[in-house]
Amino acid sequence: MNKKMRYIIGRTLFWMLILFIFVYMLFPFYWALNSSLKTEGELQRTPATLWPQNPVADNYRAIFQNDKFTRGLVNSAIVATSTTALCLLIGSFGAFALGKLRFRGKTASLYLILAMTMFPQIAVLSGLYAVITTLDLHPIPSMILSYMIFTMPFTVWVMTSFFKGLPGEIMQSAQVDGASPFQTFRMILLPLTLPALVTTGLLAFIAAWNEYLFALTFTTIDPASRTVPVAIALFTGTIARQEPFGEIMAAAVTVTVPLVILVLIFQQKIVAGLTAGAVKG
Amino acid sequence: MSEVAKREERLAFTMLLPAFVVILLIAVYPLYTVFRDSFTNKVFASGQPVEFVGLSNYAELLGMTIKKLPPVIDEATGQQAIDPDTGQPVYERPITVLPREPRRYRELAQFSLFGNSYVIGATQPDFIKSIKDTTVFSLISVFLETILGLGVALVVSSGFKGRGIMRATMLVPWAIITVVSARIWQWMLGPTRTGLANVILSGLGLTDGQTAFLREASLQLPAIIAVDVWKTTPFMALLLLAGLQTIPSDLYEAADVDGASKVYQFFKITLPLLTPALTVALIFRTLDALRVFDVFQVLLSRTRYSMASFAQDQLIQYQNAGLSSAASVIIFLLIFLFAVLYIRALGVQTE
Repeated sequence: MNKKMRYIIGRTLFWMLILFIFVYMLFPFYWALNSSLKTEGELQRTPATLWPQNPVADNYRAIFQNDKFTRGLVNSAIVATSTTALCLLIGSFGAFALGKLRFRGKTASLYLILAMTMFPQIAVLSGLYAVITTLDLHPIPSMILSYMIFTMPFTVWVMTSFFKGLPGEIMQSAQVDGASPFQTFRMILLPLTLPALVTTGLLAFIAAWNEYLFALTFTTIDPASRTVPVAIALFTGTIARQEPFGEIMAAAVTVTVPLVILVLIFQQKIVAGLTAGAVKG
Repeated sequence: MSEVAKREERLAFTMLLPAFVVILLIAVYPLYTVFRDSFTNKVFASGQPVEFVGLSNYAELLGMTIKKLPPVIDEATGQQAIDPDTGQPVYERPITVLPREPRRYRELAQFSLFGNSYVIGATQPDFIKSIKDTTVFSLISVFLETILGLGVALVVSSGFKGRGIMRATMLVPWAIITVVSARIWQWMLGPTRTGLANVILSGLGLTDGQTAFLREASLQLPAIIAVDVWKTTPFMALLLLAGLQTIPSDLYEAADVDGASKVYQFFKITLPLLTPALTVALIFRTLDALRVFDVFQVLLSRTRYSMASFAQDQLIQYQNAGLSSAASVIIFLLIFLFAVLYIRALGVQTE
């Protein structure tokens, strides 16, 4: 039992730990994939099998013929994209003012916007629903508008610190050249902030894609406007004998894969965005 | 003030205006209506006239009472009756002692003290239970997520081949829609051996493979916590990893030279320097956990509530806007209180 042996044992344990973490994080997703490829008969077999004995795509075919699910996909895409666009537009306008312009009440404004993060969504739910019914808003624009409550504070926060970080000389030299502050914002600063826009945009998109409470509440009376999370939560199969878990798992895989690809491509940006708030504190 | 400065100020207000209109419309005004409606008997989506009812919604939500349960006297012996099956003394049923007027109290729990038996009654037992369940859920999940997240962050930051893959993997549970992950776990926790958890437990010879994790009262919270821990640990780990990376590596090199052990280094260098990141992560996660909705609503539907799922159910299922608003106000205040206590206790420095 020498130093070398101890080293080897230590390394082995270390790699086993890494393998364990890896499997723990991915296993539920694997299980969804595995179940989605099984036949109805195999899904009911006990004990459950670790991989599909003869993989079939029946469940995928079924969910793409189910218009509740496909409509959910379309609705989610519309809601998440519009939320992101609106939030970036309004957010970067506000952030430019907070980050680069001088005016009274700046700190108060920033705190007011940040205070929204502390808001539990449930605290405004019935009031927000009342506003929507009074304005007679369709559920889809209602969701887009109300999702600002959690996407905007974050966007403003990150973009403000980004604008602050841009050198002031850029603005001054643009002013010397006769550009108005708004022109400076549009032509010079906005292109420079593209990286921050991508990061916050991605996070806003994912948050909107994920949202369930508002979506469930606002679409109670209008099932045609349901987004993916609501559709999956209320999923009933073509034969409503019992919960069609094969199809649910196929739907789970279908909505997860594009998001995971997106996240993996923009990995660095997302991690930077997620930790932006935390590290600066 | 100069003309230029005035122009700049006007521009700033114009550019902030859309943001403020949105905040007013979706946050400030709705919050005000929720507060106002909490003192009324408003019924959602109905023409019924709204009346001011004072604090009655709050009394309804928080009303609790404790009553002593009288023993059942066996007429033959004149003593307290004993249940022949369990050998336990018999008491009157709670319904006989709980008040019905002006509000009906229902049983929340029973307990014994000094040989007497008592019943706790509540006018809305589901809400009181939801406060307790949400608090327990939040404390345990955040605790586990912090410990596990710290472990994962330390492993990943130790530097090994394939570290990039590991970091990418950590984003997968975070990116999966919460409802979707709840559904996946619902399938894995199925009540027969078609569910993975039962296959494993019966394979190990621990159970008969028929455990209904989501239906048995004692297993519901642990199951929900397991789902949340899986989904959120990677996020915690990412935040802590970012914190770890701000610690200068020459501190460790110096400690190595001085012959300090790894454990000593962890407690004397890593932990103190990680505290700010840890504090912020803890606050964010706890506030987030207290407003949990998705997993409770999907996995337990109406059998057990979180605070948020209770308020939502009152609004949509029972159209009870007044009561739902009062519940929302209570949740808002509780979370606010938690935030203040937390920030005080952890001593966060505000710039």
